[in-house]
Amino acid sequence: MDDLNPLAGTAHLLEEVDKKLMVLLRDGRTLIGYLRSVDQFANLVLQRTIERIHVGNEYGDIPRGVFIIRGENVVLLGEIDREKEQKLPLKEISVDEILDAQRREQEQRQEKHRLVSKALKERGLAVNADIINEDFC
Amino acid sequence: MLPLSLLKTAQSHPMLVELKNGETYNGHLVSCDSWMNINLRDVICTSKDGDRFWRMPECYIRGSTIKYLRIPDEVIDMVKEDAQAKSRNRAEMNKNRGGNAGQNQNQRGGRNGNRNNFGMRQGNQGQGQGNRPLAQGNKPRK
Repeated sequence: MDDLNPLAGTAHLLEEVDKKLMVLLRDGRTLIGYLRSVDQFANLVLQRTIERIHVGNEYGDIPRGVFIIRGENVVLLGEIDREKEQKLPLKEISVDEILDAQRREQEQRQEKHRLVSKALKERGLAVNADIINEDFC
Repeated sequence: MLPLSLLKTAQSHPMLVELKNGETYNGHLVSCDSWMNINLRDVICTSKDGDRFWRMPECYIRGSTIKYLRIPDEVIDMVKEDAQAKSRNRAEMNKNRGGNAGQNQNQRGGRNGNRNNFGMRQGNQGQGQGNRPLAQGNKPRK
């Protein structure tokens, strides 16, 4: 491309500054906001951020304001396409409803997890999955 | 404005710090360094599941354990005002420098009166400069 540009061919985030981005964190949370600043560690500043919670094909947005995200917790980020954003195949529901749905989903997962560990235990395959699921997500 | 500079700007403001393990710390930022280590005062710590709380007058958090910090909206506005003030200052300085350049022209060349017209176009210069004897043009002007 432009040979004079020292950043040509290197991965960088400078072109994403001031764009509306979706950021996925290592704990699975999705944040959407305007990227205002980055540094060499991929620490990010997001403004007018919302946290978007998805359950099935429904989602809910919680307004969160300004974030300074420590780079190591970021899995990926991508620009939001304004046009496609208008026609999401998903249904927006209220914050309370989505939190309810999330709680139910969590409970179902825990129940399933309990049954699996019980079955494994009965077969002499004790797995300490709590550590895997709890502390490192 | 780098993320860590913004954090420094947020000193004395309230903020929420979430650690990688899910605990959150609410308090006022006292100080921070370039590793994102921070001191908070008047802190409320909340457990990962949000059902246990601890209150502490102050605490120190090692930067590497932080997931993210949430700061008040107005801190970014402060940065914008700062940036505007800085660019205003820069514009002022450039203007002054431009004025000096006019004077220098006066000092160097000054073989004929026409050249001095450039000095006049700079604005904020003395009037009728072109007609003055060169010796006067060399005096520093306020």
